[in-house]
Amino acid sequence: MSGRDRGGLLIAVATIASLALVFAYLAAGGASYEPAKVQDPCKPRPWRNPEGLEQIAEQFSLSALDGAACKLGVSRETLARALATPAARERFIQRYGLDDAELARAVRAGLLRAVDDAERAGALSPLLAAPLRVTLRNIPLDQAIELIQNARSLLDNLQNFLGPAGGLIEQFLP
Amino acid sequence: MSAAPRPRRTALAVAVGLILADSSIVVLALPQIYRDLDTSVAGVTWVLVSFNLVMALAAVPAAHLARRMGPGRAAAIGLAVFAGAGIACGLSEHLSTLVAARCVQALGGALAVTAVLELLPATVGSERRAVAVWATAGATGAALGPAVGGLLTELVSWQSIFLLQAPVAIAAGIPVLAVARHEASTAIVSAELRRTGRPHLLANLALAMVSAAIAAALFLLVLLLIEGWRLSPIGAAIVVSVMPLAALLGARIGPALGSERARAAAGSILIAGGLGGLALLPKATVALTLPPQVLVGVGLALVLSALTETALMGRAPQAIHGGWTISARHAGVAIGLIVLTPVFTHDIAQQRHDAIDAGTAVVLDARVNPLLKLELAQKIADRLEGERGKVPTIGPAFEPLPSDPGDRADVIGLREELQDQLDRAATHAFSPSFGLGALLGLLALVPIGLSRRVDL
Repeated sequence: MSGRDRGGLLIAVATIASLALVFAYLAAGGASYEPAKVQDPCKPRPWRNPEGLEQIAEQFSLSALDGAACKLGVSRETLARALATPAARERFIQRYGLDDAELARAVRAGLLRAVDDAERAGALSPLLAAPLRVTLRNIPLDQAIELIQNARSLLDNLQNFLGPAGGLIEQFLP
Repeated sequence: MSAAPRPRRTALAVAVGLILADSSIVVLALPQIYRDLDTSVAGVTWVLVSFNLVMALAAVPAAHLARRMGPGRAAAIGLAVFAGAGIACGLSEHLSTLVAARCVQALGGALAVTAVLELLPATVGSERRAVAVWATAGATGAALGPAVGGLLTELVSWQSIFLLQAPVAIAAGIPVLAVARHEASTAIVSAELRRTGRPHLLANLALAMVSAAIAAALFLLVLLLIEGWRLSPIGAAIVVSVMPLAALLGARIGPALGSERARAAAGSILIAGGLGGLALLPKATVALTLPPQVLVGVGLALVLSALTETALMGRAPQAIHGGWTISARHAGVAIGLIVLTPVFTHDIAQQRHDAIDAGTAVVLDARVNPLLKLELAQKIADRLEGERGKVPTIGPAFEPLPSDPGDRADVIGLREELQDQLDRAATHAFSPSFGLGALLGLLALVPIGLSRRVDL
């Protein structure tokens, strides 16, 4: 084999080896190996078969986060981290140029969406949802945030929120 | 031309390998230097960039100086300066003094490495063999550098990389002193220096491009392994040692495989293919970095030796043309690092943000006891806050694991899912930079192809 032929063969082998590697990695999913994209909070998220108070409370919190995040134009995940501690909340308010009133409006809107979602999923009776909406419309910011963080307390303390209607809770929760 | 004693040949090859390894030897130590000297990723990159930039700027003037003062003397002085500056690097406690010492080290290195090229033909018996020894020693040094640096960082300290260079440089300088003693006292006259031919522009341009691509491969892979996938320096050193092993294989079989141009083209294609593979890693698994490393290693050996031989063969004086190749190689590395650093630091910051979002989503949607989830979320948030500007390590946030078997299994599942998101983010953060490196490798084919028609 002449030197020219050997050179041509060498280049051909190098090209085949390189293309084989690139296509093998592409076929194995190399182009899509990246972190999962977070979902748009304004799009409805299905409730996964809530069984019991714990699960309903959790789904309620997630729906409320989605609703508030949608109102603020941020991701559900960003808002969840922002509401984790008072310091994180302060940083979030400064970063997005908000004030407490705007945040409170968004969090209340989130809670109302959670009630809607819970009702739609059959996790909350319409009879219970209606007075709950009235209560949530005027709830103070800190209490609203606490409810998002731990919706179980909302369901546990519905009696306090609803007054005379509270006795119906056990009857209306699935 | 009769060959000189073997110790001198070995000493000269070691000197070239040692100095040219220095452009990459600290790569695996950078994360440790970054932490010890409390600097930024962009700042610590200057430990590499400064050395390569000064080498690029000083190589040709140093070659002229070596011919004026005599190559034996120049090599001895260059090695002494290199050794002294290496000690200063090892004793540095601030980034600024380390970078300054690296610049001085590069000045000494430039003088020594170009002078050695002038000494080699008389030492090894022929100009062709001298060029081959010089090119192979340089390629071997550059390829072995990161692995040796990683081992020293893990077993001793990053400072030891520089401190140990000093005795090796001095040992390599002793046989050179014998040459210096017998050198004619009269310096080469200026008229002779003016007769220097033009450098081989296309070969040197291609050399700069592939050097930038190789720098991308070494530097980024090490950062991915240590900072992204959390390997120890010694673990990363073992992984990246595949590249020099493949380079040794390439250096062994290369010369028999075709003309310099064919080897240069094949080498560039292999480097581009290897970097393309690293840009498309389908999983955060060390084994998947091995095939790309083999391609880059073999490609590196083929292309560096072929282009260096093309740039040097038939051109005199050797030291000056060797200076041009050194200048091209180190300029390529420096430019590659300067261009890539902002790209990957931006991508790491972006991916960190995406990883945190993806991780939060995993925690929020996890089927874990909600109260346990709240506790975990707080610990994970603390970990995220604690890691400044890096892809976070979240494992400790899950310690201790819950005692309840059901909760324990849920938490382990959540930890694995979260870790997967972080691995995806870290790996993906490096993809554009590896892709850019692959593009540089492919672009080198332009000057290599043109050199078929134009011999500049």
